[in-house]
Amino acid sequence: MTAVQTLQAPPGTPAPARRSVPGRIRVISGITVASLALLFAALAAGSTSARDGLTVIGRDAGPQVVATAGLYLGLSDMDAQVADALLMGKEYGTQRQAAIAQYERRRSEANQALLKAFELSGDNPAERQTVQSVLDGLGRYERLAGQALLLDTQADHAAGPPPQKVVEVYRQATDLMRLVLLPQAYNLTLESGTIVRRTYDEKSVMVPAVRFAVIVAGLLALGCLIWLQVFLARRFRRVFGPALLAATVVTIVALVAGVNVLGRDLQELRIAKAYGFDSVLTLARARAISNSLHGDQSRFLLDKGRADTYEHTFLDKSQSVIYLEAGNLDGYQAKVAQGAKHFLGLLGTELGGSDGERALDAYTRFQDADAKFRALAASGQASEAVSARLGTVRESFDAYDKALLNLAEQHEAVFKQATDAGESALDNLWRLLPFAIGGLGLLVIAGVWPRLKEYR
Amino acid sequence: MKRLLPAVLALTALLAGGCGMGGSESIESKDKIVIGVRTDLPSVGARMPDGTFEGFDVDVARYIAQKLGKEFEFIPVLAADREKVLLNGKADLVLATYTISQDRKAKVLFAGPYHISYQDILVRPDESSIGNVRDLKGRKICEVKGSNAAQRVVEERKVAASVVPVSDYAACLAALKDRRVDAITTNDVILAGLAIKDGSGLRLVNAQFNEQRTGVGMHKGDVAGCEAVNRAITTMYQDGTASKLLHKWFSKAGLNLSTIAVPQFEGCS
Repeated sequence: MTAVQTLQAPPGTPAPARRSVPGRIRVISGITVASLALLFAALAAGSTSARDGLTVIGRDAGPQVVATAGLYLGLSDMDAQVADALLMGKEYGTQRQAAIAQYERRRSEANQALLKAFELSGDNPAERQTVQSVLDGLGRYERLAGQALLLDTQADHAAGPPPQKVVEVYRQATDLMRLVLLPQAYNLTLESGTIVRRTYDEKSVMVPAVRFAVIVAGLLALGCLIWLQVFLARRFRRVFGPALLAATVVTIVALVAGVNVLGRDLQELRIAKAYGFDSVLTLARARAISNSLHGDQSRFLLDKGRADTYEHTFLDKSQSVIYLEAGNLDGYQAKVAQGAKHFLGLLGTELGGSDGERALDAYTRFQDADAKFRALAASGQASEAVSARLGTVRESFDAYDKALLNLAEQHEAVFKQATDAGESALDNLWRLLPFAIGGLGLLVIAGVWPRLKEYR
Repeated sequence: MKRLLPAVLALTALLAGGCGMGGSESIESKDKIVIGVRTDLPSVGARMPDGTFEGFDVDVARYIAQKLGKEFEFIPVLAADREKVLLNGKADLVLATYTISQDRKAKVLFAGPYHISYQDILVRPDESSIGNVRDLKGRKICEVKGSNAAQRVVEERKVAASVVPVSDYAACLAALKDRRVDAITTNDVILAGLAIKDGSGLRLVNAQFNEQRTGVGMHKGDVAGCEAVNRAITTMYQDGTASKLLHKWFSKAGLNLSTIAVPQFEGCS
């Protein structure tokens, strides 16, 4: 519309005095340059906004999910290893050493993850405070866990639940871990999800709006260029001004490239979030909860006074991962064994495809191993239950966890690819822009200057 | 033109944001929010003779509303109405010992949990043989209409207690004192509230068996509002308010507050 109007406007106006021609050329050129500047300003604003989105999602929040999920897994496994070591007793001397060594490794991993999480938390004060609070709590946890392990060594008991005084110290340790530290690590992971969602929602409105502004500014600039050419053609009776024609072509190229790149980035942002990040986050949460319910198996065996509590948390967490309606654990495990295809819960929408089926199979085997392990514990075969916990239960859990990790890695690859693709499209645009701006400047001058000179 | 651009963008954002919610408005864009609280649970959510509300849930609701920077108004809800007031839009938030479950999540959105509680047991002061859920075997417990707590003992924990149906917690309390039942079992904060109101020294066993996550019920789809409520809850635990409120309302009843559990959020999507 704008272009057409500007085109028709000059012939309609009464022929101005000859001496005002250079003035008019200057005015029209000025408007043209201004509209070109507007086009490039919009392009710059749009690509800055898109890059900002890609950075938040791809470079900050994405890695933060991985770091905080690593923190959760490290912490959760520390507590599980302590519980295992306390259960083993004197019969499993070397395995007990191995569990303690694993505990130490997990501690160092958790420390690294904490540092990373702190670094990535930037200037978010709530996140920083959370990391600090976990750091403080971890020191207390280590002291309590060390005490429990020492008391346990001194007790020199057979495989199975340790003496009550060991259980009491361990209770303090595990309460601190499960009720205070792990939830904070988990919430840090969720907070990254919040940041991504907010950024994405903002960008999915902002980028299309700027893209529209780019189109409007681009058409305006093209209209002005054409207006200028028509004016010059009429006044100076030349059909072509090669410089201005070239400027028009460059403007069209910049407009099309800019609109394409912004569209492409919007799409890559969507792919990164919907097919990458969201699944990475969900799977990280599912792995965290699964790891914690795996620890509940050891704690169930370890602490007779709280066996019911730990059996319930095991069921509750299992249901939050894969929800099948059931009144108790037996009922749940029977339904899992029947092979449910449709279910709610965290993994409800994540287990499509053959890799998803593999994960579901692994989960079914894990729940089956758990049922057998609980049957042993219920019949009073403590030592056999410990050996099941350290044997089939652990193996089936590891297989299930690996299947989830495999799925998570696939989504992580999608996520990385989309962020990289979005960023490289922007890089290309940024490389092109200075040439386009410089070139256009020269071409407009080349197109207008000779005409102005005729009036000297 | 440079000034115009942000204005155009803001307008577009406003329009798009308005459409995104699909009809129901986010609490973030409201000036005043309506919060549903219980009226029948002493120390948790109770209505005073002067018409005001008090209790742990009420204080948490106030804290959250203040952190969100909203004016607020309370409306009374009973257990059976919690879902209804959210679905028909009468309340924006529900803080009414609303336990998060996968079934409920199909209809309402849960922010939080803001408190981790457990199913526990309340006994007469002279009762020494009940220390654990297993000890309820063969004992009489009351089953309050509309609550599944007694059923969870029998079905989920497979403890063969004998169940005596009663209409409400007041009747249950009377039955306990008349020795018609041996124990009341439900959410520990509800038991603590009953014990404090009763004042005759009823004892909380601190058996802490079934973990329950008490969340903030919200309109399904208000993800941004839910995230804002979660941030308020995070602050409530970080600045010590949660611990202060739990001690204020429940320490008198002997509720175990040695470790204040930080809630692990359910997630808003």
